Amino acid sequence: MFDVFLEQAAEFFIWDNAFFLFRAMMTTLFMTIVGCGLGFIFGMILIYLRKTPGLIFWPVRMTMIFYVEVFRRVPFLVLLFLVMFTVKGFGLDYSLFTIACISIVIISTAFIGEIIRGGLDSVHQTQWDTADAMNFSRLQTLCHVVLPQAWKVVLPPAFAFFVMFIKDTALTSQVGVLELTQAAKYYNNLGYSAILSFGTVLLLYFVLSYPMTRLGWWMEARLRDRRRDDDEVESGVTPYELRQT
Amino acid sequence: MNYTFQWGEAFIEVPYLLGGAWITLHLSFIGFWSGATIGLFGALGKTYGGPVTKKLIDWYVIFFTNTPGLVTAFFIFFGLPEFGILLSPYNTILLNIALNSGAYMTEIMRGGFVSVHKAELEAAETMGFTLLQQLRYVIVPHIAKVLFAPLSNWYIWMILGTAMAAIFGVEELTGRVFNRAAETFRSIELYTIAAGMYVAITVLASFILVAIGRWAFRVKAKVF
Repeated sequence: MFDVFLEQAAEFFIWDNAFFLFRAMMTTLFMTIVGCGLGFIFGMILIYLRKTPGLIFWPVRMTMIFYVEVFRRVPFLVLLFLVMFTVKGFGLDYSLFTIACISIVIISTAFIGEIIRGGLDSVHQTQWDTADAMNFSRLQTLCHVVLPQAWKVVLPPAFAFFVMFIKDTALTSQVGVLELTQAAKYYNNLGYSAILSFGTVLLLYFVLSYPMTRLGWWMEARLRDRRRDDDEVESGVTPYELRQT
Repeated sequence: MNYTFQWGEAFIEVPYLLGGAWITLHLSFIGFWSGATIGLFGALGKTYGGPVTKKLIDWYVIFFTNTPGLVTAFFIFFGLPEFGILLSPYNTILLNIALNSGAYMTEIMRGGFVSVHKAELEAAETMGFTLLQQLRYVIVPHIAKVLFAPLSNWYIWMILGTAMAAIFGVEELTGRVFNRAAETFRSIELYTIAAGMYVAITVLASFILVAIGRWAFRVKAKVF
């Protein structure tokens, strides 16, 4: 078994394959950055709408709550296929990469929106009231008063979510996006041993994810030192949250 | 805009899909408890073990929390046969889920062990508690209270994670949708129904878990 493995390894580890895998790795990373970046922006908008006061905006608020609660509870794989068949079913000719990005944005908007909401809630209500008393508009309050304080609470879990999603993008190989997992399947189908192809890709995911995890820990520790008092933040391994009161 | 929805054809499949949902629950339940067992021993080893044990557990946790579950599953599914070990898709997924969530749960449970302070155990000892009583009245309530919410979250997250099993041909909810979508071509409708079912299952699970938490461990939590 191992002689086959060694024989193949000599063929496998060549510059062409390295280049191919590197491009696949960049696709994975790029997909996550685009998806989570847009998700962050949309999440912010979503939470802004969700916090709009007034009776007229009740349906808007409810829609936003509904959106978050639903899309945090749908598996990424199912959503991916749903988006793909909807896009293709309505005759839109988007690339597979775009489809993957759309699904990531839909999911990450819900999750990151929830993270941002936690951050905004961590800022004391008096801050909102004071800004209100000083005749700040809602947008001004958010940009100049609340967000600078909430930032430290939002960033570590949002980053943890981003790192987690690098791994979840492996599922996009199922709709055919050429990222790391798909590359591994490609090599496996070419006849390379599964240990070799999937093992290499496992290592590449690790290389991608581990430094980011460390960066996240570092960021969390650094921001925690600066935080004033005792408000605890879970930059948890579970992005889904059953909120403890 | 040239797609005609035909919900009727999709709704006929609901009983079949519900059967799949049952397998999903089944899978996540077994996976959760095997993961919890690994997590328990991992956390015990990491809290009370020697330096070598700690290092090994560290590496196990770091490896599985930094690699995608899908790729480890592929690795197990296609890699182990090269060593002459053949696993069915269901067992592959179970093994993968157990290993993967074991790593995450080691991390979660360690947080619970840390929360029991030594002073409390000493206090209990001073008051003449036996070891069993200490376990019953001091250690377990503490750990349960700290761990209940994160573990419930993890269980919900795992229900969603088991959708991955469909890729290996396990006929759980997503797998059954794959089957029927391929037969009837009513993909959008079927996937929408499946998504709705996942939402329903997880909401239901959340409510049950919150109820159990309140009743058994006095953990105050809310679903929405």
